[in-house]
Amino acid sequence: IPACRTPGVKVPRNFRLLEELEEGQKGVGDGTVSWGLEDDEDIMLTRWTGMIIGPPRTIYENRMYSLKVECGPRYPESPPFVRFVTKINLNGVHNSNGVVDTRAVAALAKWQNSYSIRVVLQELRRLMMCKENMKLPQPPEGQLFSN
Amino acid sequence: MADNGGADPVNNNNNTTVALEGTIIKVTVKTPKDKEEIAISEDASVTQFKEEISRRFKAKQDQLVLIFAGKILKDGDSLNQHGIKDGLTVHLVIKTAHKAGDGASSSSSGTTQVGSSSGNSSGPSSAAHPSTVGSTGGPASAPPQTPNLLTGFGGLSSLSSMGMGSANFMELQQQMQSQLMSNPEMLSQIMENPLVQNMMSNPDLMRQMIVANPQMQQLMERNPEISHMLNNPELMRQTMELARNPAMMQEMMRNQDRALSNLESIPGGYNALRRMYTDIQEPMFSAARDQFGNNPFSALGGNSDGGVQPSRTENREPLPNPWGSTNPSEGGGGTGTTGSSTTGSTTPSVSNPLGVNSASLGNGMFSSPGMQSLMQQISENPQLMQNMLSAPYMRSIMQSLAQNPDMASQNPASSPSAGENPAQQLMMQQMLQMFAGGNSSSQTPEVQFQQQLEQLGAMGFINREANLQALIATGGDVNAAIERLLGSQPS
Repeated sequence: IPACRTPGVKVPRNFRLLEELEEGQKGVGDGTVSWGLEDDEDIMLTRWTGMIIGPPRTIYENRMYSLKVECGPRYPESPPFVRFVTKINLNGVHNSNGVVDTRAVAALAKWQNSYSIRVVLQELRRLMMCKENMKLPQPPEGQLFSN
Repeated sequence: MADNGGADPVNNNNNTTVALEGTIIKVTVKTPKDKEEIAISEDASVTQFKEEISRRFKAKQDQLVLIFAGKILKDGDSLNQHGIKDGLTVHLVIKTAHKAGDGASSSSSGTTQVGSSSGNSSGPSSAAHPSTVGSTGGPASAPPQTPNLLTGFGGLSSLSSMGMGSANFMELQQQMQSQLMSNPEMLSQIMENPLVQNMMSNPDLMRQMIVANPQMQQLMERNPEISHMLNNPELMRQTMELARNPAMMQEMMRNQDRALSNLESIPGGYNALRRMYTDIQEPMFSAARDQFGNNPFSALGGNSDGGVQPSRTENREPLPNPWGSTNPSEGGGGTGTTGSSTTGSTTPSVSNPLGVNSASLGNGMFSSPGMQSLMQQISENPQLMQNMLSAPYMRSIMQSLAQNPDMASQNPASSPSAGENPAQQLMMQQMLQMFAGGNSSSQTPEVQFQQQLEQLGAMGFINREANLQALIATGGDVNAAIERLLGSQPS
């Protein structure tokens, strides 16, 4: 792993994303979130899919939430664009299209280039465990946001 | 390469044997708790992979959900399709049978509801909310053997402890309980019953009743606070005051709700409350719940999506307000309770720690068929009578009965079931007389009715013996005694 964690060193976008791809495939992390390229042929490594496993002891338990993550050309300097595909009722997620409000998620609002897709997914999962969210009534399982 | 050997992943699906053509890859399968390395052919289908996994993780195939690189692996796919290669990790979620998401919330609300009034014979538990109890609500009928908080009342528990614990006896209590629980009107009637009020004004009596309940005892062992609370006469008195006065109770509860929501907003306060709830209130509730079958809180909490209702418990922290409610609650249950706390169910509150339900004492006691049968049993068995009389609670009852002869005679007379059966009514009266007459431990009837005897004497009834008899029969009511005497005089 290149010394990309040294502050001040700007790692090229593709390097970063490839690294994240590898991590996603190797299951780095605690196994509660997963991410990977939406399309293996995507050489720009722009479109990613993510999966969050609903945390236990919340209303989201046992559900799997699918997301789309888009890493723009300025990633990792700019935060990615995140959207829920699986319908969810969560503060900070638009009810109509599943778009995650950048201001509502700390990792996105205060984005740093050392953050990654994994960080964003884990943050969203943490949000599910918050008191204000953990009991929100949810739509029936399996529903998707309409694009 | 071996790819072609695998042909379409779709066709490959129905093979039960793992295709050994092609290289074997080792894939790590990771659950939040567990991690296993599974060897599988790189051409395998997801279905085959799941078979292997179900064997290794001891779960059913249809419970398995596999995720790789942010995508769910569908049975029809192949591992290859998803790019799963040697050394990579796939995430696994094993779906549990029931929907934990919904189940958990409603069950937590279920646990909180309590037949409340661990204190006294209150068949509290929201008679009006049977529907909202919903899910776990709880078994309506406890087994006949279950000692009953109701037993405290009327010294019935002492009867059972004296070896009276026949199944019949317990059933009687159960019946009383269920009657009370199902009839909200009865509950409110009970409240007005002066007998009840009398009883409740006697803190010692209350305490005895409460303590006599083995479950309370258990609870007390586990939570010294509770025994402390019981020992505090001031507290008991307030509790009873409260119980007697539904309006006051509501007031208190509202205050607590407010305090509760304030506490919630204190950083760290929420957790403290939660802890306290689980430490104190839950055992209490569970103890009471067994008897009452359900927890009033679940009904109350039904509205807020299964949020646990604020359960009141004695304050552990040195807040200036002795009733300082630190009411643990999860989520905004606070407002939910206020409205619904009235009907019959007693949410034990700080000021009413044992959840004594004002509306649920006593009256039903006399009118329940169970009670009637008890009376019958008693009249058949004088020894029983003896035992009953010597119970400490009985003495107090008798005293209050003696002091309120009108009420005492009203009771059996007004109870509908007694009214229907004159024989039973008579029996009731006899019993009451026996009570009054048997109350010789504190004072002889002569002494007791001293004043009345004098009155009768002054009126010209010189037959002291007859006077005494009459007074005993009427429980000290001079006017009634006079009528008796006049009626018995030969014309």
